[in-house]
Amino acid sequence: MIAVLMFPGSNCENETKLACEAAGMKAEIVRWNDVSKLGSYSGYVLPGGWSYEDRIRAGVIASKDKVVAFLKEEAAAGKPILGICNGCQILVEAGLIPGSGKLEMAVARNENPLVSGYYCTWVHMKKTSSKKTAFSAVDEVMAIPIAHGEGRFVTKDKELLAALEENGQILFRYCDVGGEIAKAFPDNPNGSTDAIAGICNKEGNVLAMMPHPERASWMRQLPGEHAGGEEAGPGLKIFESMKRYIDEN
Amino acid sequence: MSLGAADEVAISSMSDADISTFLKEHLLTLSVDECKKVVELLGRDPTLTEVHIFNIQWSEHCSYKSSKQWLKMLPTSGPTVMLGVGEDAGIVRFAQDGEDVYGIAMSHESHNHPSQVVPYEGAATGVGGNIRDVLCMGARVIACADPLRFGDPNGKEKNRVKYIANQVVDGIAGYGNPLGVPVLAGDVYFNSSFDDNCLVNVVTLGVIKEKDIIHSAAPPNSEGHDIIVVGKATDASGFGGAAFASVVLDDEQEEYNKGAVQVPDPFLKNILVRASESVFAAARKKKVTLGFKDMGAGGIMCATSELCESGGVGADIDLEKVHVAVEGLEPYVIACAETQERFAWICPPKFTSTILRIYNEEFELPRVAAGARASVVGKVTTGDYVLQYKGKPICKAPASVVTKGIEYTRVGGSYITTFREPTLKEPTDYGSMGLKILRHPNVASKASIYKHYDTEVQGLAVVRPGEADAGVQAPVPGKYWGVALSVDHNPRYSRISPFHGAVNGVAEAMRNVACVGATPIGMTDCLNMGNPETSEHFRDFIESVEGLSVASHKLWLKDYPEKPVPFVAGNVSFYNQSAAGNTIDPSPIIGCVGKIDDYRKVVRTQLVAAGSNLLMIGERKDELGGSVYYDVHNELGKHVPELDLEVQRREMHAVIDLIDAGLVKSCHDISDGGLFVTVAEMILGKDADGKIGVDVTLGASELAVSRLLFSETPGYVLEVDFSNMKEIEKILGEHQVASTVLGTTTNDAEFLIKEVLEVSVASMAEAWTSGVVEAMK
Repeated sequence: MIAVLMFPGSNCENETKLACEAAGMKAEIVRWNDVSKLGSYSGYVLPGGWSYEDRIRAGVIASKDKVVAFLKEEAAAGKPILGICNGCQILVEAGLIPGSGKLEMAVARNENPLVSGYYCTWVHMKKTSSKKTAFSAVDEVMAIPIAHGEGRFVTKDKELLAALEENGQILFRYCDVGGEIAKAFPDNPNGSTDAIAGICNKEGNVLAMMPHPERASWMRQLPGEHAGGEEAGPGLKIFESMKRYIDEN
Repeated sequence: MSLGAADEVAISSMSDADISTFLKEHLLTLSVDECKKVVELLGRDPTLTEVHIFNIQWSEHCSYKSSKQWLKMLPTSGPTVMLGVGEDAGIVRFAQDGEDVYGIAMSHESHNHPSQVVPYEGAATGVGGNIRDVLCMGARVIACADPLRFGDPNGKEKNRVKYIANQVVDGIAGYGNPLGVPVLAGDVYFNSSFDDNCLVNVVTLGVIKEKDIIHSAAPPNSEGHDIIVVGKATDASGFGGAAFASVVLDDEQEEYNKGAVQVPDPFLKNILVRASESVFAAARKKKVTLGFKDMGAGGIMCATSELCESGGVGADIDLEKVHVAVEGLEPYVIACAETQERFAWICPPKFTSTILRIYNEEFELPRVAAGARASVVGKVTTGDYVLQYKGKPICKAPASVVTKGIEYTRVGGSYITTFREPTLKEPTDYGSMGLKILRHPNVASKASIYKHYDTEVQGLAVVRPGEADAGVQAPVPGKYWGVALSVDHNPRYSRISPFHGAVNGVAEAMRNVACVGATPIGMTDCLNMGNPETSEHFRDFIESVEGLSVASHKLWLKDYPEKPVPFVAGNVSFYNQSAAGNTIDPSPIIGCVGKIDDYRKVVRTQLVAAGSNLLMIGERKDELGGSVYYDVHNELGKHVPELDLEVQRREMHAVIDLIDAGLVKSCHDISDGGLFVTVAEMILGKDADGKIGVDVTLGASELAVSRLLFSETPGYVLEVDFSNMKEIEKILGEHQVASTVLGTTTNDAEFLIKEVLEVSVASMAEAWTSGVVEAMK
């Protein structure tokens, strides 16, 4: 059973639960203050939204919630944890990503020449690490939507970036439709450093990503001529990957 | 007779002048005669609270006092109606799965005055209020659409216009995005009639099973039920909002008007929605019948009195039990303030603790938002509707008296119009004229607006804004059902002819839904108008309603001959006029919902392949009145499209059948900017990066090329396979619809009409993507 952790202000919990189920996992939405069954889940997903109305900084207040302290124990125990969009911001604020336990990076305000602030569009991303992780059974270039105002991974610490690269923690990067790593807008939709879209921890069981795989988990969700029906979309691979990891461990 | 309350107002012993002074002192919009009528109705002098109550209830906004008798012209029932007008939202029948009958709940509201005065908050609370209407039917809110009208971005008010436009878009995004309601459709028009009164309309859709509908009424036999107020702590914000929406905006009263705008809190709303859905689930499980109502205009008083009136009961409410944000609020403020993010429940006492637990403990309202909670404030009775304060009744009357409203018989005046057709020379370069039209903000890409909105949240999107003439969602995960939505109306047509403008609004909304392959099943209308007390403006209103009525009857439901497409929700917004007299173009804005059985059959606007045939349905006529072509020449003209509705209906039903048969690859309707814009947008696609071009021949015609290219007579352009022409002609023949082959699609990224124009995708993209960005910068 997967816990989709809902914070005050989450807004993607329902479709995230459906995506978990479509990947063959059981899932339930767990409210922030319902700690009764926490230890019993085999994995966790932190869905998108704007927990605590993005007060101070997106994700920072939720990162101090009791349930997040508990997540740190679960991460150390090797359980898979996926943070999407606001969930990604919470994991970074909590120091679960990149993983030292301290705040090492920012997920800063978008830099975008077309629209300032919140921006919603479809982009492409691809896996840029050969590391074996709980989420990496994704080989081809993936069409996926983003929807955020603060999604630009940034750090002043050049050594940290080098270490992330070296450790294979930069799991996903924005790219163009042909798979070339994004050099600028619009392929890189928010100005993220080195076109980073998702970062995992060193152990590979925690992933923080800004794009929304649950919004690309059925072919009908894809825009334009790529659209289809209820068959699996590209984003579902991330949830299927999570399931495989749970089955294998 | 007297209630013996401390705040009794001795109207019956005042002179008219005294009454007038009293009304002014209290910033009341009741007339002296209306004030006397209150005394007559109650059979005694009212309390100050009661005066405030009738001031709200008898406002145009709440009572529809001028419009009610005319709105009866609109069809509101029929085979697709699950729940007609009268409750917070209407519901159309959508699909059936075994015993479960699914409906689409629809609501359409305006928040024009607030958005003009405080645009961010005004627009945000407009979205919030409309979403509450749909939610409180027990529905899951799945989509919004935002029809917007702004002033001239190059005119004398350009700085304010741009400021308002940007703030309104930010307000919509700032509310809908965090709440998690995707934007599915919308339209935007700029013109100087909106310089002093912008229009911000919102259409909201929800999905609900018929058996799960929660009515906006006290349940049967509900004497002794608890009345619960839930949500934000009541404060003075929005006090007088309904009355304020019913007057002409006056710059001198700006500061007071600002205070009448509510304060949005999408964060609290997000949690309230989820908690309320949890209450729905608990009630279904325990088979408890509840009454639930949004608190909008008139606050606690309006919501609770209407719940009681609909259930034929009374109430005993103690205003001191209402959770408030500050001490010392006057009782009439507690009763009538329009503090946002609140609802009223009526529930059997055995279920009260469940409701309180869900809001106050499970979802921790008091912790997540200061002062927010659910509070029991009173009981349902079989007697009068009574509001108590400090142990004394300050309002006491049958609920039916409180909610009855007032009615005026107003008639339209006559006026002479002097519209004329301009005499313009044919353009020397049709291509550059086309580019000029593509750059016009009423035609140009709206991407810089809708990219602010979350179009993907909930994961239901199939066709999002910009991809086609209507947005499409799959509202029930796992089912192939698609719901389509479009919102339309061209204000310049209505400036020339309110009747034809309204007819075109209905026809275009339906046409847009048909262009994706969906069948119209229901509509909403919001009549945004000038001052009803001015007879010529009231005539505009009447003509608009007549136009809606005629069009909805003639463009009847597909497969139900003679049965009109019903209006299931609507709103009237009068007084969209400045103190200086600048009145908006009559704007009956239409929302149309359609159904497609299998969303995989949906078609979009962008051309799909080279080597296809381009087919045009709809004869070109000399109908450039109100067109973009005339606007770029600073002309208005006279000949608006006058529709043969019989032909319009047959064309629309033929297009739906062609798409259903899988014979159409892409489709776009002909409207603003005419045939040129239609084909250009099919080449460009939503991201303006199309690779397929067209080679078109205009053929022999009596009309000048400018008419053929830019006249806005409605029609359709369809991309089809040459090999399917026989089958296509058969279906068109069944509907007695004529078509013209315009040309073919090519691998050259350009729009080519030999000897007329040759325009590259790059130049069209530059113009089309710049227009709105420049207008709002």
